[in-house]
Amino acid sequence: MFYHISLEHEILLHPRYFGPQLLDIVKQKLYTEVEGTCTGKYGFVIAVTAIDSIGAGLIQPGQGFVVYPVKYKAIVFRPFKGEVLDAIVTQVNKVGMFAQIGPLSCFISHHSIPADMEFCPNVNPPCYKSKQEDNVIQEEDVIRLKIVGTRVDATGIFAIGTLMDDYLGLVTQ
Amino acid sequence: MADKTMPIFVPSEKPLKVVKWKVKQGVFVSQGQILFLYNDSSGNGTDLKKYKATRAGTISSIKVKEGDIAEPGTAVAELEECRHPTVMKEMCAECGADLRTDEVTNRDVAVVPMVHSVPELKVSEELAQKLGREDAERLLKDRKLVLLVDLDQTLVHTTNDNIPPNLKGVLHFFLRSPGCPGRWCHTRLRPRTKEFLESASKNYELHVCTFGARQYAHAVADLLDPEKKYFSHRILSRDECFDARTKAANLKALFPCGDNMVCIIDDREDVWRHASNLIHVRPYSFFQSTGDINAPPPPVDEKPKDKQLASGKNGAQLNQMPTLDAEPEQKDTSKQKETKDDSDNGKIVSKEAKSSSSEEKESEEADQESDERIAQEQAEPKWVETSDGQIEVEDPDDYLIYLDDILKRIHKHFYDYYDKMGKNQIPDLKSIIPEVKSEVLAGTSLVFSGLVPTHQRLETSRAYQVARSLGAEVTQDYSDKTTHLVAVRAGTAKVNASRRMGEGKNKLHVVTPEWLWSCAERWERVDERLYPLQRGGQSSSRRPPAHCSSPPPAPAPVAAMRKRTPSGRFMDTINPLLSFSSDDIADMDREVEDIFNESDESSSDEEKPRDDDLDDEENPPEDRLMSASAENSMQDSLQERLQQEEATNDSEMDDEPRPRKRPRKSPPSDDEPPDDDDSSWNLMGAALEKELLAQD
Repeated sequence: MFYHISLEHEILLHPRYFGPQLLDIVKQKLYTEVEGTCTGKYGFVIAVTAIDSIGAGLIQPGQGFVVYPVKYKAIVFRPFKGEVLDAIVTQVNKVGMFAQIGPLSCFISHHSIPADMEFCPNVNPPCYKSKQEDNVIQEEDVIRLKIVGTRVDATGIFAIGTLMDDYLGLVTQ
Repeated sequence: MADKTMPIFVPSEKPLKVVKWKVKQGVFVSQGQILFLYNDSSGNGTDLKKYKATRAGTISSIKVKEGDIAEPGTAVAELEECRHPTVMKEMCAECGADLRTDEVTNRDVAVVPMVHSVPELKVSEELAQKLGREDAERLLKDRKLVLLVDLDQTLVHTTNDNIPPNLKGVLHFFLRSPGCPGRWCHTRLRPRTKEFLESASKNYELHVCTFGARQYAHAVADLLDPEKKYFSHRILSRDECFDARTKAANLKALFPCGDNMVCIIDDREDVWRHASNLIHVRPYSFFQSTGDINAPPPPVDEKPKDKQLASGKNGAQLNQMPTLDAEPEQKDTSKQKETKDDSDNGKIVSKEAKSSSSEEKESEEADQESDERIAQEQAEPKWVETSDGQIEVEDPDDYLIYLDDILKRIHKHFYDYYDKMGKNQIPDLKSIIPEVKSEVLAGTSLVFSGLVPTHQRLETSRAYQVARSLGAEVTQDYSDKTTHLVAVRAGTAKVNASRRMGEGKNKLHVVTPEWLWSCAERWERVDERLYPLQRGGQSSSRRPPAHCSSPPPAPAPVAAMRKRTPSGRFMDTINPLLSFSSDDIADMDREVEDIFNESDESSSDEEKPRDDDLDDEENPPEDRLMSASAENSMQDSLQERLQQEEATNDSEMDDEPRPRKRPRKSPPSDDEPPDDDDSSWNLMGAALEKELLAQD
């Protein structure tokens, strides 16, 4: 699920940037430091939409570095259990398949793929195929899946998905 | 695990009426899913309540029908809990349960990492067996086998050194890794690699098994197979290996139903623990200064100076050496150095072969094979600049043709057996591969001359084992069946006898040992006419090249070998250091100390000890064989000796030929290198000495 929320971040700036462009550099640094990161609580920070305020910089004693507290608004992506999402299949193997939902990786076990779909390792690329051969899931395909579990680490989130529910599976455009 | 079934009790104190079931028997439910709707049995409550599953699992039975009333304390249904057979990052991939917080009992159910490139994904033993069986059935249906392919020095050769950017046939790629600046890799594919993969993929399912890092493995696999039609995702790299020194440990996980259908090609035997389903290929080397950049670390628990350590050191040494010498004299010394530093394995042999062949002017044809080997291992490649500004390098390597042929033969054998054996029986490649190999020289009977030192038992020599693994019979002396005489040099009693016999029967082939090594390399009976023994010529390749492997010796010789080495392992017997007796080593120690005590005074007979050295590698002194009791003390002094050697290396003494004089305990045997070139050795030694003194 996507959220638009207010967040805070501290920017540590080297003294060589002290000059007329200082605030621009703080903004630049904020973009590079937070966009694309992931926290367990808020999920992936997709994009910074607005910078609300750049607080007063505090010079670090003995170093000369300055710390700016920055308040900003950002779009974050936080996957939840039970959520239904569209994903792109990245790898298909005999145990299941891996899919990517933007920055989020997801694994769908063979058990969670409808039983009529079988793994076909001999075709290139390998795929899951239904008996009537009318339903084929292979790499690069778009699938709709439901998240059944998430593993939140300090650096990222990993999800377990399933295709065993109504309206899940290959998305045909 | 069947006791994981748990009943779902009536969720209230009062009897209730099940209005509607939302699930069917045998259906998998996840935690929080609605199982049924109910209301109070009194009937007046109109509001339906939902009952949600408290845990994930499969509904094994439903005990109360819709519309029935269930009393409190009775079970409405039974739920079989998820056994977590597939686990990804410690999370059940079927029910989504977090196994880090779950009870400990669930922890080690799924243990087999079945997917090559994703070690975090693990499945239970049971599921692994099932998947493995499916794989095997599919392979049999397609009449395929599994081939594990090594990359470095088997199909490609990669270097990190700076090389000319316009070398033809060399591919470049940049590897980035977090935490370090990244590196450029330059990879040369072995000639005919693409054709080989194409041909092999018809009969085999190809898997990459390399000790390179994951990124590297995938990058090289991408070069070999840009369309991913050969390897797909079946790439196992160092990051996924269980053990840093052996690839064999991963076999069980990748092929849970056994490795009956697995064939391996690798340039290193030790990483597979000398498995019998391994085809030991000739290492491919293109960049002169680089060995295997992804060699596993040398084992710490075993002897410290083993093959890869030595070769690594050698690689470094070669690196420092001038690559293009103007002065022939200097080149000579560097070659001499090389010869000395090549402490073991077959390299030394081919180098000797080269020097002798150039002296003896052997026929072109006969030397073709050994020249080829030399060209790869040590000689400067021929750099030819083409018109379009690219440097073309002559690369005579044609091994993959033979390898392809070997693989085809193995495949045919396997399926011939399979068709004969009938269904439900799968032949084992671990016995088929040695069998195919043993057909190479089947029906021949060899006699060696000058190949095995007189005091060594024929059965313990490597040449014997190589010949036996190829299916040849080897006898100590002539018999009626003898078909080949493998002689190191002309003029021995057996060679002379063969002339007389040859006249009578006219079918005895007299060949050089290269013929045998060549057969072992190609797995085919090479034409004997290519390797004739020259009159007066000496071919000194008494020991097989390292890649001419033979399976570990049969039980009978092992018993004999136990006496020779404490561990009784085959590898030990070919380690030249172990063939020194304790007296020898004590002598050497004393000598090293002498060197340290004395100043660098020169001696003109420096090269001569080197000869001794060579001899003793092959001909362990007599007392060495007698005193089995001295073995343990020998090991200890070997350790000392190695430490001493390291100390010597540190003080930059290793460039200088170390004078090692020790009393010769065994009489010179008939297969000794000629001494007549001592004077030239001495001259070179003196030149080297002068150079070193000048440096000081």
